[in-house]
Amino acid sequence: MRSASAKRQGLTEQDIDEGVTHYATSARFTAAEKAALRWCELMALDPERIDAEFQCTLRRHYSDEEIVELGAFIGFNIGYHTFFGTLGFYPMFSPDGRLVSQEESARLYGAAPVSLATTNGPADKRG
Amino acid sequence: MNAMLVAPLNVEELRDPELNALVDRCSVLGVPDPAFAGTLAHAPEYAKALLQALLVSHAEGRVDHRLKEVIRVQLARIAGDAYFAGLRSTRARSLGLDEETITAAAGRFDIDPRFTEAEKWALRYARNMYLDPEKVDAAFYAEGKRHYTEAEIMELGAFIAFHYGMQVFMRAMGTPHRKG
Repeated sequence: MRSASAKRQGLTEQDIDEGVTHYATSARFTAAEKAALRWCELMALDPERIDAEFQCTLRRHYSDEEIVELGAFIGFNIGYHTFFGTLGFYPMFSPDGRLVSQEESARLYGAAPVSLATTNGPADKRG
Repeated sequence: MNAMLVAPLNVEELRDPELNALVDRCSVLGVPDPAFAGTLAHAPEYAKALLQALLVSHAEGRVDHRLKEVIRVQLARIAGDAYFAGLRSTRARSLGLDEETITAAAGRFDIDPRFTEAEKWALRYARNMYLDPEKVDAAFYAEGKRHYTEAEIMELGAFIAFHYGMQVFMRAMGTPHRKG
């Protein structure tokens, strides 16, 4: 599923794909946005690497309030996405906006949401 | 160990009655302590929403608070979060939860007679959620329904997800200095 608000503000599927798969080399993201995406990746997959140098990088781009906002948002999502994944939910709406049954949604979106398939790359150290 | 990414505000200097009331409730329970509230207080609206959700998910609902406390510590150890792993619920203690039971839940709880079959399922639920989520499948939930109502399973699942998420957040922020 996607945030309607983010879409109205101009977020595209290409932005999401690049943000998930190769944000570090993408020209779509600012240095601040890359730091936020990197933080998300490290929190989920490799928290040992959140070191003093990375902390400095975050502080260069974000205020204390923004760091708390970002970190809590990322933590919340890490916790809940795994939980929802165990429940076998599929989106309520088809890509063209139709309200669909869970059975039809499962046929449309496959065995797992597409966005999950791209996060299980070599950086995932949980195995 | 890294310094804290953001230094906690002094909660005694907060001047938001709603936030102050939540901090007081947390202090009575012992989880979280003022370091977490003071960290979140940099973003006051987040602080209010998250502290309220932490309190409701941990200390309210139908599932035994002592079981939730054991699970909360088990999750903190899985998350590698020394901050939440070091906190204890005063209410769970007053209800009889001891450190031996908390330690037992981190070991071979499956063969430990101190836990009921329902509690063992809940402990497996929490452990597998982040270490082996493939095992939390339809058959696992079907087994859970022999012990808990669907509402209780959602209460447990949401509790596990939320507290683990906040533990991941706190680990990423660095462990605060604890007084005493």
